[in-house]
Amino acid sequence: MRLKKIDSITARKEDLLQIRTISCYQTPSGQRVEVFKQLFPSSRKRPIKRVAFVSGLHGNELEGIYICHLLTKYLKELQKSQPEAFLGEIHIYPAVNPQATNSATRLWPFLSIDFNRQFGISEGNSLAIKCAEELINNLKASADIVVDFHASNLHLKETPQIRITEGFHKKLIPLAVHCNVNLIWVHPSSAMFKSTLGYNMNQSKVPTLVIETGIALRIDQSSSNRILLGMLNLLYQAGVLVTKTPPPAVDEPIIAHPSQVIPIHSKHAGLFIGHTDIKKNITKGEIIGEVVDAKSGKTLQKITATEDGFLFTIREHPLVYPGALVGRIAKDIMA
Amino acid sequence: MKETILSIQSPLGPPIELAQFTWKGSKPKNSVSIVSGIQGNQLNGIYLCSRLIRFLNSVQSGNESGYYLKGAIKIIPTINSPAIFEGKSLWSFHDLDMNLAFPGNEQGEVTEQIAASVCRHTKDTQFGIILQSADLNYNDAPHLTCLNPDGLTKDFTRSLGVQNVREPKDSPAFKLSLHSHWIDEMITSVVLSAGKANHLDITLCEAMLPGLINSLLWVGALGNDNKKLIKYQVKFTKQNKERFISSHAGGFFLPAVTLGSDIKKGQKIGDIFDIHSNATLEPVLAHSSGYLVTLRNHPMIYQKEVLAVLLGNSKFHFWR
Repeated sequence: MRLKKIDSITARKEDLLQIRTISCYQTPSGQRVEVFKQLFPSSRKRPIKRVAFVSGLHGNELEGIYICHLLTKYLKELQKSQPEAFLGEIHIYPAVNPQATNSATRLWPFLSIDFNRQFGISEGNSLAIKCAEELINNLKASADIVVDFHASNLHLKETPQIRITEGFHKKLIPLAVHCNVNLIWVHPSSAMFKSTLGYNMNQSKVPTLVIETGIALRIDQSSSNRILLGMLNLLYQAGVLVTKTPPPAVDEPIIAHPSQVIPIHSKHAGLFIGHTDIKKNITKGEIIGEVVDAKSGKTLQKITATEDGFLFTIREHPLVYPGALVGRIAKDIMA
Repeated sequence: MKETILSIQSPLGPPIELAQFTWKGSKPKNSVSIVSGIQGNQLNGIYLCSRLIRFLNSVQSGNESGYYLKGAIKIIPTINSPAIFEGKSLWSFHDLDMNLAFPGNEQGEVTEQIAASVCRHTKDTQFGIILQSADLNYNDAPHLTCLNPDGLTKDFTRSLGVQNVREPKDSPAFKLSLHSHWIDEMITSVVLSAGKANHLDITLCEAMLPGLINSLLWVGALGNDNKKLIKYQVKFTKQNKERFISSHAGGFFLPAVTLGSDIKKGQKIGDIFDIHSNATLEPVLAHSSGYLVTLRNHPMIYQKEVLAVLLGNSKFHFWR
């Protein structure tokens, strides 16, 4: 048993990957729950920049965790083949709400708390607020740029995108364009964002990009691979990871400002049956889906595109109530 | 009068409805709104509303000796009906905390529509009372919460028959609560918390009912020429005077104190036991004296969780 533990430490030393505990607490049975990060140190004494990747604030959003896995795997290989490429420091926080991830729930189990609404509270006392404080303090102390991965909720599928609160956009768009996402959505500021990690990090002058991609409880490998390339490009552009061969060029994203994003809602309760997937060049009038009534067999509403543009959000959860969001179009901006 | 102020179709079952009860006297400008059920598993507030509705209907019928309707009273007892009928704090379809959804959105998702409807129907009220229980896993001794209370709010709190008032600090999450929205709308409002989630404490509710009726008299929404208005003694505690006692180990927490009692420095609050061996892991002691306003209710605890909240010593505010 002891020998095994020593082996594991040696292995970590060999590939220079350092694992650091950010916060920990005991379960009722005394087991230790640890929130940890993986640190890829710089080959320089003074790192050019420090970039952090965070995922798992919501336990049912798995795509970010997978992207962290891809990133770790790539960087471990690179450490062996090109250790000199690491001019900056890379911190990866793959699962910052491990209990929620293990239960595959959005909320922190047992407490029923949304962990991404626990930031910016100055005098917190709950376990969730303490963990939020430890996480944000660690990020502020160890990162110059942060990327926070999210994967939508159980209802909506999202194209790989970066969401930026208006006001932070001048600082964040120049970074976001390197990330190989389809869309950068600058949305209006709202009180509901002010207790999130992203908002509070940006308020603290640490540029933080919030990536939304896919849908909860699922992994879309092609989107994950696409974002991996974007993250490697971001690291390259930031001078953190300068490989012998530059990463492949990334696609230029569409940038949508608040007035350009049109939400589409259901007017009825029923089952939403989608007729299209996320689509870059949807035309006004094109059918997106329909809301049907299971009892009468009737179609209650044919849902059509209200604008030409990029259908970047599409409903996946079939149950709808009146007012339910079924899609979003970024209008007038064709790919 | 009972009316349905919002009805939202559901895909296959009955619609989601928001019910409102109103009574009006000759001076409708003296108005108060009382709401409960923002969290679906907080039952004491819903029961208290039902007792008030019964009492006010009886007043309206002339069956409550001396009482008469003077102003306007509005009760919305089951705000988060989808969660209430599911028996959960949050409605599982969205997992959205309704108290993080105000002021809502008339065109939005169900939770946002309900929040918007509550705001719209209470916007002209002078006074507001939000009835709730403790957060999940905790038990609250009856107390009021109000942010930055002004003189009028302090006077209002003295009418409610509850001894303790907590003054929280503002936070981004608090901004999304109904209480914060009402403050923004210049509605003099308080949150009255008592008991625990998933539990109906009839004795506690009956003990609080006279205070609520007294507050309706104080507001001038209700009249009774034979009854003297009671001004209760109230203690205000700012957040920096609250003392939180946390666990240093995970396990079973078995309290050794009574909620709503005065605790002395060094007094044992309870013990934490190993859930397998029953060995004592930690005696939990109070580091300062104070009034025990909140106590952990669920015995299974994680390390670093709050076990008890004491309201520290601060000035008593008597009649002024």
